[in-house]
Amino acid sequence: MTVAEKKHRIIEPDSLIGKRIAKMDAPEKASGRTRYIHDINLSGQLHGKILRSARIHALIKSIDTSAAKALPGVHIVITGADIPDQRPIGVAKDHFPLKVGRVRSERDEIAAVAAESEEIAEAALKLIKVEYEDLPVIGKPEDAIEPDAILIHPEPHGADGTHLHLKQGTSIAHKGKPDNIAMRFDYAHGDVAQGEAESDVVLEDTFKLHYVTHCCMGVSGMIAEFDASGNVLMYSNTQVPFLHKREFAEYLNIDPARIRIIQPPIGGGFGSKLDIYPFEVICLYLARAAKRPVKMLFTREEEFLASPTRQPVLLTLRSGCRKDGTLTFRQVHTLHDNGAYTSWGATTPFVMMQTFSSLYRVPHCDYHTAAVYTNNPYAGSFRGYGNLQATFAIEQHMDMLAQSIGMDPLEFRMKNAQDAGEVTGQGMSFKSCGFKECIRTAAQRSDFSHKFGENQANQKAPGTIKRGIGMASMLHVGGGAKIYPSDGCGTILKMDDFANVTLITGASEIGQGSETVLSQLVCEELGLPISAVTVVNNDTAITPWDVGVHASRTTFIAGNSAIGAAKKAKAKILAVAGKKFEIAEDYLDLRGGFVIKADSGEAVIELSKLLRNLHFQDKAELVMTTFYYEPPSVHQDKGFKGDVSAAYAWGTQVVEVEVDTETGNVKLVKVTGAHDVGRVLNRLGIEGQIEGGIVMGQGYAFTEDLMIENGHMKNPNFRDYKLVTAPEIPEMDVAFIESMDGEGPQGAKGVGEAPAICMAAAAANAIANATGIRLFELPFTPEKVYRALHGQTPKLYWKPWKAE
Amino acid sequence: MTELKHYFAPTSLDQAVECLKDGDVTILAGGTDLTPQSQAGRIKFKHTLMNIRHIPQLSGITLEGDEIRIGALTTITEIMEHPLVKQHLPALVEACDHFASDQIRNAGTIGGNICNASPAGDTLIPLLVLDARVELASMPEDKLYRHSMPLSTFFVGPGKTRKSLCELVTCVRIPVPGAGHVSRFYKHGTRPALDISTISIGVAGNYRDGVLSQVRVAFGAVAPTPLRAELTEQALEGRRLDAAAIENAAAIARDEVNPIDDVRASAWYRKEMIHNMTKRVLENVSA
Ligand SMILES: Cc1cc2nc3c(=O)[nH]c(=O)nc-3n(C[C@H](O)[C@H](O)[C@H](O)COP(=O)(O)OP(=O)(O)OC[C@H]3O[C@@H](n4cnc5c(N)ncnc54)[C@H](O)[C@@H]3O)c2cc1C
Repeated sequence: MTVAEKKHRIIEPDSLIGKRIAKMDAPEKASGRTRYIHDINLSGQLHGKILRSARIHALIKSIDTSAAKALPGVHIVITGADIPDQRPIGVAKDHFPLKVGRVRSERDEIAAVAAESEEIAEAALKLIKVEYEDLPVIGKPEDAIEPDAILIHPEPHGADGTHLHLKQGTSIAHKGKPDNIAMRFDYAHGDVAQGEAESDVVLEDTFKLHYVTHCCMGVSGMIAEFDASGNVLMYSNTQVPFLHKREFAEYLNIDPARIRIIQPPIGGGFGSKLDIYPFEVICLYLARAAKRPVKMLFTREEEFLASPTRQPVLLTLRSGCRKDGTLTFRQVHTLHDNGAYTSWGATTPFVMMQTFSSLYRVPHCDYHTAAVYTNNPYAGSFRGYGNLQATFAIEQHMDMLAQSIGMDPLEFRMKNAQDAGEVTGQGMSFKSCGFKECIRTAAQRSDFSHKFGENQANQKAPGTIKRGIGMASMLHVGGGAKIYPSDGCGTILKMDDFANVTLITGASEIGQGSETVLSQLVCEELGLPISAVTVVNNDTAITPWDVGVHASRTTFIAGNSAIGAAKKAKAKILAVAGKKFEIAEDYLDLRGGFVIKADSGEAVIELSKLLRNLHFQDKAELVMTTFYYEPPSVHQDKGFKGDVSAAYAWGTQVVEVEVDTETGNVKLVKVTGAHDVGRVLNRLGIEGQIEGGIVMGQGYAFTEDLMIENGHMKNPNFRDYKLVTAPEIPEMDVAFIESMDGEGPQGAKGVGEAPAICMAAAAANAIANATGIRLFELPFTPEKVYRALHGQTPKLYWKPWKAE
Repeated sequence: MTELKHYFAPTSLDQAVECLKDGDVTILAGGTDLTPQSQAGRIKFKHTLMNIRHIPQLSGITLEGDEIRIGALTTITEIMEHPLVKQHLPALVEACDHFASDQIRNAGTIGGNICNASPAGDTLIPLLVLDARVELASMPEDKLYRHSMPLSTFFVGPGKTRKSLCELVTCVRIPVPGAGHVSRFYKHGTRPALDISTISIGVAGNYRDGVLSQVRVAFGAVAPTPLRAELTEQALEGRRLDAAAIENAAAIARDEVNPIDDVRASAWYRKEMIHNMTKRVLENVSA
């Protein structure tokens, strides 16, 4: 290139936004080179294993670990009695990592071993003798609220009936609970009595939602190590490193500053790693006692038994409308099966109430939940966070109400759907809102109205295969959720003298593709190719603070944070360039690795060269910026009202099925989705997110079922717990509605949870369209569908109940 | 920790049956049943683990006179793709096509499927309706001894067969069906792939001028063993396959099976499926 050519080099505008960009970690993962926690081994490491309860609900009369301790190769054996400073864990602080005096579920941790190998640790577990005294089992949440129900958390007593000398505290684990109600929620806006009085049609139905679990490909695990000064290093799969750092410190009774968490690549999260579980604290106890690193990995069976589940819910919904198709009110009562202990599952009402109060215009709403203790597995958070359950009921009633007043279900929905600018009874303010466009688009692309009518007419016609089409929509937070005083995320951005960027973000990558999207957003500001970015996101000693990966918040919150840091870097660079070339910085921009003139695109200087100039001078400077983004959302008030998210995501899915009336088999033929995602940032990433979510929703609707009978899990394996397999995955047609959210990063909104939410509801509506039969209980296995088709399903009814 | 002390990989049938003499041997073929069962603690390894995969006499599919011989070590994939099987034994192909996943089919063997003796074993149903015989080898004295029995008499209960601890299954032998022979297999589960049968149905016989004769009917997952349904067979034998005969046979089939409730389905549903799907299979034969 001659000097003259160089001077006039024009850099054409280009953008990464909306392009199909492969995930940055894809080559490593696809070639099997990613080092998960399973692949990490520290020298001197021991292997930890946990002895779980052989009973569902029992007093522990005695534990004898002497034979286990004597086994060669065993370093440490601990029980609750060996850890006098055990602190209660969990969302309600209602259990100890190692159970003391009493077990309340099949998964309960009684003792733990650290040994030279996994095999020796396993063998040692078999040598531990435990004597139990069985207690009656509460296997159904309805039984937990009976007046004479046994208490799951009575005041603690020792094996001999005397008080245990537990360290004093105010938590449930110390004091017990005088009833089985773990948590309750009561919400209202408007006046449902008035709403009911104004209704021409009122429906009341009970819906039953079952147990499912995350089935992460990577099972749970952790490595813990104490250094000689008592500092703790944890290799952990947590989704919430910063909050957990503080919590772990509390459990170890040490200063949080002594804890460092490194997150190896995580083999799936979906909400399962949002809480601290007993195994993690036990692993720390073992490492502390053994003075050696301890690695603990679940077996697949253990992953089923001892990781959280989606919240099972019994729900009675009463709702009404006028003849003209206006919704009048919703009244909802639910009973949540909390399981033996409280994790995030108990708090799913936070999200459920958003759907009850605000999915469509609801003038009057009244909602009550009691999450009750049973001897079942305990429920945690899971993609959608209660919204699958709520939407299942609400969207079926939308169809049923429409049918009762003889209105087309599409028209009925359009009539009640909100527009941008509306504020709901719960105080959610829809700044961008593609709701109606989602409904319209999904309906048009699937030819909904035509097929709906045709299928309905065909219900009674001869033939064993019936086709059906059904739709459901959803509303979910899309701009974070201010459930803590801050919902923010920090970024540190540094540039080297080759114009490469190191993006240090608080946001964890759990397979959702956040590294790639955050890099894109940074590149967009700095005019760099995606290959210029290295992301560091997995070490609490390096990365700035973040609330954690939940609530579909990472793209929105961490994205805005990354943009903030990049904008600051850009401002600094342009200021330097402006000075150097005596051009007002407003006339400069960054593009294609150059500083350019903004109007003409003419290259001024190569960015890397400018940065080197900056470094190699006597007043050297580095381009290194920090930014903390806090969304403009608000903390809800005591009545759960307030604009809790900076943006809201919408979506509509239309499901088409073929029902074999002689077997009850339902074949999922096609899913047409329209999602208001604000703006598509990485088209490949978002398609993957939506398709994966649809399949997860499909599993929830049709095949997955964690069978619990009286506290006992009957199918902790992939043979009998049925995930969807490749041949069942339907044709998918997904459209993106770009409502360009004003606060979103480049206009985008969060979409991580959204695609799983509508599937079960839409499938139920499709089966009803095919057969005329409504299913109120998941999952739609062939037998359940067949029974319903042959009048063998008694009408489900749970009498609305709320805690005093 | 297991009792396992020795590992042995014989390269001939003689070595294998000699090793089996003391009866304290666990036989390993594809391992697709053995591995999960031992992991789950449902079976304990015996003193010796004998890997039979290096015994040439146990593999291959050949035509021997008027019989098709399928070696015990033949994998599900090999069976499904073999021209002889495709030509003569469509019901067996159908069963293999609905068997597990590619990975399991590439490892799992027909001998393993037979010896595992699950009431839901998918190849067992077509083998029963195809009049298969199972051949066993042992070494009672110093010489290799072979004998065979009809597969229909081989199963005793879930996981239990008439094979003694000192015996090895070498092959199954299936008479080559004559002209006009039809065979069908139908499997019902929650998923189209990778699923254990909720029920399965096998039907075979000579079909001429709308009449079915030499009828064989077998059902899977509805009794302690794979079941030859003799009453259903009698109801069909020599009858014209019209709507009334089909409905009659399906109703008899429903009463003939004796399923249980388990994680996959209730007994009631299984009986309903036996009725509905027997009807569907027979309609398919008559179509
Ligand atoms: C994920 C998965 C899916 C499956 N799906 C299906 C399915 O759809 N349908 C189905 O029918 N099965 C299914 N199975 C079960 C299994 O794959 C089959 O039963 C298979 O045919 C077993 O063959 P194998 O060679 O792996 O047997 P192995 O596990 O090696 O052996 C099974 C048993 O037979 C004995 N044995 C094996 N060969 C001989 C022999 N020649 N002589 C004497 N004893 C012998 C062994 O000692 C053992 O007790 C599935 C298994 C898995 C893990």
